[in-house]
Amino acid sequence: MTATVKKSRRSLTAAPHIVWAILFIIAPLIFVAVYSFTASDGSFTFENFAALGDYTDAFVRSASYSLIATFICLLIGYPLAYAISNAAPKMQRILIMMVMLPMWINFLIRTYAIMKILEDTGIINTVLQAIFGEEFELHMINTPGAVIFGMVYDYLPYMVLPIYTVLQKLDPKLSEAAADLGCNKVQTLFKVTLPLSVSGIVSGITMVFVPSISTFYISQKLGGGQYLLIGDAIETAFGNTTTYNIGASMSLVLMIIVLLSTAIMNRFDKSENEGGAIV
Amino acid sequence: MTRVKSKNSAISKIYAILIYVILYFPIAVMILFSFNDSKSMTNFTGFSLRWYRELFNSGKAFEALKYSLLIAVLSALISTVIGTLAAYGIFHMRSKALKRTVQSVTDIPMMNPDIVTGISMLLLFAFIQVIFGLQKSLLGFGTLLIAHITFNVPYVILSVLPKLKQMDKSLVEAALDLGCTPAQSFFKVEFPMITPGIISGAIMAFTLSLDDFVISNFTIGNTFETLPIMIYSMTKREVTPDMNAICSIVFVVIFALLLLSNIFDGSRSAAASITEKLRKNSKVTAIVAGCVAAVLLVGSTLLFIFAPPPAELTLNIYNWGEYISDGSDDSFDVIEGFEEWYEETYGKKVKVNYTTYSSNEDMYNKISSGATEYDIIIPSDYMIAKMASEGMLEKLDFSLIPNYKYINDDLKGLYYDPDECYSVPYTYGVFGIIYNSAKVDEADVEAGWDLMTNPKYSGKILQYNNPRDAFGVAMYAQNLDVNSKDRAVWQQAFDWLAKQKPMVQSYVMDEIYNKMESGEAYISSYYAGDFLFMYENNEDLAFYQPEAVNYFIDAMCITKKPTRDAETYELCNLFINYMLSEEAAVANAEMLCYASPNSLVIENEEYIEYMSDIHEDAMDILYPEGLDFKAKYEQYAYLGLDAETNKLMNSLWSQLKVSAEEDEVEITNYISLGILAVIAGTAVFFFIRKKKRAKYY
Repeated sequence: MTATVKKSRRSLTAAPHIVWAILFIIAPLIFVAVYSFTASDGSFTFENFAALGDYTDAFVRSASYSLIATFICLLIGYPLAYAISNAAPKMQRILIMMVMLPMWINFLIRTYAIMKILEDTGIINTVLQAIFGEEFELHMINTPGAVIFGMVYDYLPYMVLPIYTVLQKLDPKLSEAAADLGCNKVQTLFKVTLPLSVSGIVSGITMVFVPSISTFYISQKLGGGQYLLIGDAIETAFGNTTTYNIGASMSLVLMIIVLLSTAIMNRFDKSENEGGAIV
Repeated sequence: MTRVKSKNSAISKIYAILIYVILYFPIAVMILFSFNDSKSMTNFTGFSLRWYRELFNSGKAFEALKYSLLIAVLSALISTVIGTLAAYGIFHMRSKALKRTVQSVTDIPMMNPDIVTGISMLLLFAFIQVIFGLQKSLLGFGTLLIAHITFNVPYVILSVLPKLKQMDKSLVEAALDLGCTPAQSFFKVEFPMITPGIISGAIMAFTLSLDDFVISNFTIGNTFETLPIMIYSMTKREVTPDMNAICSIVFVVIFALLLLSNIFDGSRSAAASITEKLRKNSKVTAIVAGCVAAVLLVGSTLLFIFAPPPAELTLNIYNWGEYISDGSDDSFDVIEGFEEWYEETYGKKVKVNYTTYSSNEDMYNKISSGATEYDIIIPSDYMIAKMASEGMLEKLDFSLIPNYKYINDDLKGLYYDPDECYSVPYTYGVFGIIYNSAKVDEADVEAGWDLMTNPKYSGKILQYNNPRDAFGVAMYAQNLDVNSKDRAVWQQAFDWLAKQKPMVQSYVMDEIYNKMESGEAYISSYYAGDFLFMYENNEDLAFYQPEAVNYFIDAMCITKKPTRDAETYELCNLFINYMLSEEAAVANAEMLCYASPNSLVIENEEYIEYMSDIHEDAMDILYPEGLDFKAKYEQYAYLGLDAETNKLMNSLWSQLKVSAEEDEVEITNYISLGILAVIAGTAVFFFIRKKKRAKYY
């Protein structure tokens, strides 16, 4: 069975990553784990986890905001990636880079600008007031909507890029064949293109959902600090050495929640792929 | 046949344009404000190139940008190599359990809040240092690079994996059947097919690395700063528009390069599709990329091994952002002044490494890990008490600090340093209420702290977004002891904050400047010195000082470092003394706008005139007449809290923040439940379809 020998040898290329992960992902985690099971005087305790009850709402809110943001990113990002992949080849690169480019601007500076746009005395409202009169005010800043807008703005590129890379290499013959067999454009999209791009979608969802669940700065700046997310709570706890322990337990629990949800999603990817192969 | 023309309909073109407009709107605003005449990020007062001039004059931002780019390029390159190999390996793993484990571990750096990754890596580096008994600090370029690679690799893996999955497996099998070795089949068959994934992975890695602040902050050494660190440490005060200017330059340069490369590319080969070209050139591209990577790697390694011959002495200073007169706005550059003075006086060159932090806690976390080496720090009072009690501070040699005699006696021998041995006051200040006099009735202001719960101004009130200061306001307002350990007292403060919450526009820190200056909010609490900063941008603002308020002192200290030699110790003390000299102290006081404890400053005519130019009552606001500072300070200033109280405070704080207006929370919960239902529905649909199909085949 030379083929299988070769095949298992090929997985060895993951070795540098695995070594790296053990050294720089797992090992630092041990410190977090130790903190989460100790009291501030260093003795073993479960108290930090018991105290997490106070933060249930923050967990739920983080999960629901990031779920909504991910969903919106997918709704906006897929058509965008699709449009880019259908653009003239020489435009594609520039279009895809243009999705990424705003993220090369410092996050804080970018967020200040967004604040300036959304505020009650900001740019949008000034324009609206010029049109509809002084009394008109569209209240946007310091709402959950503003927080979710911020998340979508910041993470959209991480949805568009992986979907685009998959769409870009789809064999155009497949959609041509579908068209020849009588599919209209919409049918082709849903029956051929979409199933074949699931692996890109799953990557995109992971890259948006996973970091956005622990985000903290966006909610502080655009939500007016009114909507405590779990990332904020962890950040506050780690801001002070005497409360490291509870911060550590929060991040462990968060980690478990996210690992479970990505594990479920990866299964999705698998079954989907098989489905796609049948098509 | 390749398709050259766009296949997009008008609708999808309009859609794409709309998205790009939204994406670029904030960028346009940022560029606009880089040309603002005033220091404000919210009021556009007129067109000027002032911030660009400032930027080029100081050059510090470019230095930081250089390091940011270097780290971003290197970490993107290395993590692309590691990540691509890893994705390839993961894809070919036969053991499902192993595959899943590796993938889950890969996700960890993505989902951990940055601060957890940052602190845990800092702890790891400190631990390694202890285990190997290293004398020198590990933190530096290398640790920063390691950290960046660690959080970049997952994104590369996630963007390469879909391409591998998409690839037709029979191609590889064919290659192997035709006698290719696995290595050959990788380079000849698989690599060209997954190239787009690798490229987008590299782009994402570069982007993340370029913009990272939190993790960098904990893993960087004491010799240089990246641009994000420079910008964030400014948030102690106001981020200045020269940061907009440098971001605008970066943006315009990259955008121009992008357009140029595309025009160049397009004119050369309009007919050939990019994919085909890439395939043809993949070898050349790979070789070129490899060479560039190698040169960069070797170059940067050499750069840091054979760094410029060290000056005879180095002094590592760790200070708040924007907390020293640094030559901007034609001011006196204190650090340069010290270097020159020292060389003239002692005939020796001294190199000052000056880096910045944005909070006492960040600074403490970093120093207490033991992984860094700083000589001079400027913490706040309560932090000095904590660090002194933990043996983290070195005693000063006052025989080398004769200028100490100019320090106001009221600020000596306070609780944080009762024996006057660890610290020399640098600045001090007081809280107060800042209000917009055009919108707030003077009569209401007399109510003091109650102004902050006046329903008349509901929705226009700002509150601190950190528990210590927010609870502090609540406690001062009710005449409670801010250092109480009594649960009931904290509960009472909590009730006050809960009552105030519906009236609060937002909980803020550095945004306070923008919101007060633009008139978005009318009432907030902040320090007198910061009020003067804001007043420069909005002359409607006024300051009111209630009876019970917080006082702070920031003081210069020397950190404990057993390996420091006598000459460097002397240098540290001389630096502190230099900071108290008239020239340096006046320059700093004018730059900072906080009160100075130095009599050379307070009596300096030029200083008094300078402050009065900012605000006619500036001197009275900063130095209220007849103030018994010592008595007030002892009664009202914050002390460090013990672990129990801190825990209680944080838990009450999150309760306050979580109890948002009920209806809004519910709406988002319903929406997300709806999304979950959609996901579940899709899953069931596919499951059923799969079963049905299985029947047919």
